[in-house]
Amino acid sequence: MNKIAMNKPSMGQNSAQHKQAFDEPLWWGLFSAGGVCFAILLPAVILFIAVLLPLGLLPAEELSYERASSLLFSVPGFLFVGAVVCLPLFHAAHRLRHGMFDISVGNDALNKKLMYGSAALLSLLALGVVVAGMLS
Amino acid sequence: MDKSSSQRLPPLKRNWWLKHRFFKLYMLREATVLPLVFFTLCLLAGMVALLQGAESWQGWIAFMGSPIVLLLNLLALAASLYHAATFFVLFPRVMPIRIAGHSLPDQVIVAGQWAGVVVVALLFFWLLGRG
Amino acid sequence: MSTDQITAKRVSTDNTSANNISTNHTKTKHISVKRYLPDSSTETFWQEYDLPVDDSTSLLDALNHIKEQLDSTLSYRWSCRMAICGSCGVMVNGIPKLGCKTFLRDYEGDIRIEPLAHFPVQRDLVVDMAIFLEHLAAVKPYLIDDNPVKPYDPNAPETYRQTPEQLERYKQFANCINCGLCYSACPQFGLNQEFLGPAALTLAHRYNLDSRDSGKKERMAELNRHDGVWSCTFVGFCSKVCPKNVDPAAAVNQGKVEAAKHTLIALFKG
Repeated sequence: MNKIAMNKPSMGQNSAQHKQAFDEPLWWGLFSAGGVCFAILLPAVILFIAVLLPLGLLPAEELSYERASSLLFSVPGFLFVGAVVCLPLFHAAHRLRHGMFDISVGNDALNKKLMYGSAALLSLLALGVVVAGMLS
Repeated sequence: MDKSSSQRLPPLKRNWWLKHRFFKLYMLREATVLPLVFFTLCLLAGMVALLQGAESWQGWIAFMGSPIVLLLNLLALAASLYHAATFFVLFPRVMPIRIAGHSLPDQVIVAGQWAGVVVVALLFFWLLGRG
Repeated sequence: MSTDQITAKRVSTDNTSANNISTNHTKTKHISVKRYLPDSSTETFWQEYDLPVDDSTSLLDALNHIKEQLDSTLSYRWSCRMAICGSCGVMVNGIPKLGCKTFLRDYEGDIRIEPLAHFPVQRDLVVDMAIFLEHLAAVKPYLIDDNPVKPYDPNAPETYRQTPEQLERYKQFANCINCGLCYSACPQFGLNQEFLGPAALTLAHRYNLDSRDSGKKERMAELNRHDGVWSCTFVGFCSKVCPKNVDPAAAVNQGKVEAAKHTLIALFKG
């Protein structure tokens, strides 16, 4: 009966709440891409670089200073860092932000800036290291 | 009935997720990023070490071999696999793949993603493990 | 109540017991119900009931038995007894369930019945679902047709034609019965009641996928908000508790893909 009367005023009244979240698709896209990298690439990366390498289980010279430098400081190395460092960082930032909301830590607007900001800074650092290595 | 008149409850207490096994597993899934961040920071340190020279690169490898770092990175390996197990089953639900009007069975998409993990590991073996 | 075995067994003169040729053994089970009687006290309390059950006793049968035989002050909602009206949702041992679709034979030990979580309680097991209906109305869960209603033309009765393939795209999401169990299962709704929530976002997606609908643009404005699809973190419990296997979590996250496309299009169009 008064369905229209019930809906109409509220539309204008809550216009502040109806703000479009144009940034969220970006964060979610980076989160999803990072999630794919974390799931598909990271198991092998962690196994080889953080477990087999320090345990000395890789054949000697496979990741010697010279070999590691030539692998990392290259265009494929740049892409590798993008997929293994940068995207997973944004994945982690997204989950940490929502996790902090889940356990009521801080406020979301600030957490958002801190988390995505840190991910962006560390990503820039990582890519910067590769570029510096390629130039030197 | 005005829109603003309906009653809102205060937010859940922060321990809500301890009350059910399903929510604990959800939190575990979300927490997989903590060891991931640790590994990523290690990797960043290694990249900086590599840029600095041969000596600091060897130093970084020694650092990676210290028991606590190794343990945390093994945790990161386990976390990446748990994340993979939870993430792969979500994919066909978020992006159902349709071929010629029929949706691809979920199991096929999940198996395909695990095959991806194996292929990447083989690629690493080809790149680093042949001696 | 002709199929209600409790009533049938209790009243021996009731000739419907002829229908109940059953080998079930009647046992006594103990259930605890969280009571709230605002007329007498602002405090909630647990009340214990012992009642006869057999293999076919649903939780709704049990509540009806309490109401009719043990304690007429107990309040709860119910109607169809066949999981289609969606009114008998309660928490059973902390998990949202439909009373009519939950059988006491599946429970050993404690059976604790509470009102649906995340909704204000009005009395006993009766909750105020106004906020759910508000969120539902916000996403316009009905066909929006650009063309005004045409007069019926018997020579071309082809309005709203749809192929089986077009039906298949949204059919699963159309099975929602608005019972609200997914809202009680959703911690994000518990943390932020402005979140539109699983059922509303699912129905929005259901109409967006419908070939007869042209209201997607209006709905995207609601979905692409912080309190729209972007508050969901794919906990997935909504899909676990859904009595109609709608998979709201999938619908909400497909809604994120749509919201992302909507944003990209908006960016390029300026």
